Amino acid sequence: MIDSDETIERLRREPQTEFTLKRALQEMGINVPRGVLLKEPPESINIPFPVALKVSDENVLHKTELGGVKIGIESAGVLRNEINKMKEKFPDSSFLVEEMIQGGIEIIVGLSRNPVFGLSIMLGMGGTMTEIYNDVTFRLIPVIAQDCSDMIDEVSVGRFTGNGFRGKFIDRKILIEFLLKISELGSKGTDFIDQLDLNPVKIDGDKLFVLDAKIIKYIMDSGGNE
Amino acid sequence: MFEALLKPKTIAVVGASENPMKIGYAIMKNLIEGGYDGEIFPINSNSSMILGLKAYSTIVEIGKKVDLCVIAVPASSSIKAVRDLVDLGVSHIVLIPGGFSETGPAGKELEKKVMEIVKGTETRIIGPNTVGVYFPYAKVNTALTPPDRVSFPGAGDIAFISQSGALGLLTMDSISEFGIGISAFINLGNRIDLDEIELMEHFNSDPNTGSIAIYIESVDNGKLFYETLKRVNRAKPVVVLKSGRTKSSAKAASLHTGSMALDDRIFDGMLRQAGATRAFNEVELIDYSKVLSYSPQLKGKNIAIVTTAGGVGVITADYVSATDHGIGMNLAVLKEETKRRIRDSIIAFGSAENPVDLTADGSPDSYGLVLSALLDDENVDGIIAYALPQTPKMNLGIADIIAKYSESGKPIVVGVIGSMLGTELIKEFENKKIPAYPSIERTVLSIKALYNYSKYMEERNND
Repeated sequence: MIDSDETIERLRREPQTEFTLKRALQEMGINVPRGVLLKEPPESINIPFPVALKVSDENVLHKTELGGVKIGIESAGVLRNEINKMKEKFPDSSFLVEEMIQGGIEIIVGLSRNPVFGLSIMLGMGGTMTEIYNDVTFRLIPVIAQDCSDMIDEVSVGRFTGNGFRGKFIDRKILIEFLLKISELGSKGTDFIDQLDLNPVKIDGDKLFVLDAKIIKYIMDSGGNE
Repeated sequence: MFEALLKPKTIAVVGASENPMKIGYAIMKNLIEGGYDGEIFPINSNSSMILGLKAYSTIVEIGKKVDLCVIAVPASSSIKAVRDLVDLGVSHIVLIPGGFSETGPAGKELEKKVMEIVKGTETRIIGPNTVGVYFPYAKVNTALTPPDRVSFPGAGDIAFISQSGALGLLTMDSISEFGIGISAFINLGNRIDLDEIELMEHFNSDPNTGSIAIYIESVDNGKLFYETLKRVNRAKPVVVLKSGRTKSSAKAASLHTGSMALDDRIFDGMLRQAGATRAFNEVELIDYSKVLSYSPQLKGKNIAIVTTAGGVGVITADYVSATDHGIGMNLAVLKEETKRRIRDSIIAFGSAENPVDLTADGSPDSYGLVLSALLDDENVDGIIAYALPQTPKMNLGIADIIAKYSESGKPIVVGVIGSMLGTELIKEFENKKIPAYPSIERTVLSIKALYNYSKYMEERNND
């Protein structure tokens, strides 16, 4: 499914920023918001407002908590202003400006490593309530389509498939394809992925976008064991 | 590969004793009273006869090939015995004593010594820190409990692998009450050599085994466990009881996914992916193993209920339909023709709707007519049938009737409530390999386990 192992190879070597990770996802045929990486405030940008502004730096993993995210920016003037403010906090960083994706349902998809079973894939409802309701499910990678379908039915995500729920709808086939791609990414990246968070992923019908992506690299211990 | 373990022609017992306070006595007693018909060689340097059998002062003295040797001397003295047995080419050693890694670093060293001795040889170790093994088909019982304290199940379908010895013995003692049979019991103990993965492989092709029940506390090789489980489960359904549900190696400071990745969530997902059945206690472990071995697959969610007690029928109906305190399946909507046939078979004030109620008027004969009508109805995928022997027209013959209709290809899971005749009746069903349970909830949960397994197999038919 991933056309070239180059994508994986680059991901393995490159600094693990949201930008590089999203570019890799895009190469795998996964939608991400249109975005541009900047060092300085721009005169104008090629993305319709409103936009989101995020610090892009391998060393800043939890951006929101550190004040590295601003959403709902309505004009080029406000954007320049916000970038200048953020540069005070993160003088050496780059900045990612992205289109804002409206509507849809937020889910979380991720990979995580277990000492006994290796990498597994997770699916859950997005948002802060995920952890409170334990609305998540796991499978070892690689998964097959039926595993993905089972996962969807084990969490609330499944309620939005079929005829949808209160006007909101998730296309099961699209979500399964997405999960299969992430599973494949995990299989090919077993030697360097420790954890991956795609959170949130927005789905509106058959339109799926990864809005935020984080990765923690896996470093084998000196003995070469997991 | 485990022929010598499971069907040994000769068994030696190191530490055999005539002193009833020693485990070497209990093991000898269990072997002899269990009816083992191979040769037994008691090893004890202080006696010439033990329990009527010629005793040997050393293993070397036997001068014959030993298939299975049980070591019942303390950990420290067991090392020499292991070395002697390996030199003689004994196939399998059941290493009973505790005092190994479960006690600390010194014990861990002893285990390493044992493994160094057997490494590269033909000899395999079961244990240490094991209560023993029990193979009813070969009448081999090496349990360390006195025979007058524990009942052992007869020969049957379930291969029972347990990391804990006590839980295994207690479970076997419990299920014996209802005549549930097993094909083998192996207590892995500290599991330094033989493990559940190899045993699953073995039971996969064992004609006596219909399903596999596993109690484990940990898994060492996760990937191999998963792959073996997934493959074996297709032919021999595997039920897994795993303790340590709240322990976790999930990382505290990490990404969302990592912080949610509790060990048990991964394990649970792994079981679902493998299609294995999860049990949460020793009762479910055997209940599910039974239904998965005895019943044909349940091809859909639509369940018909047959009862002679209205209350039992409606509570079961709630359990079948509800998702909370229930199994979220469907009550079959009966065809008119089915209802007509049922009305013709039961008393006028009974219910020909699902749940079908024959009332206290129900007899084995009328029950048979009802089952026949339900099985012919394509809206019915499976049946929960209550065999309640307390009313005048009902009798133990109900087991024969249900057995007759159990050949149809659609599963019938039986509930039996009560003790005066109930226990006897469950034994009858057990004899006929029809899954029967002594409560509403256990009956309903078992049919759900069967449904989940069948659904998994159906959905992955072409993989």
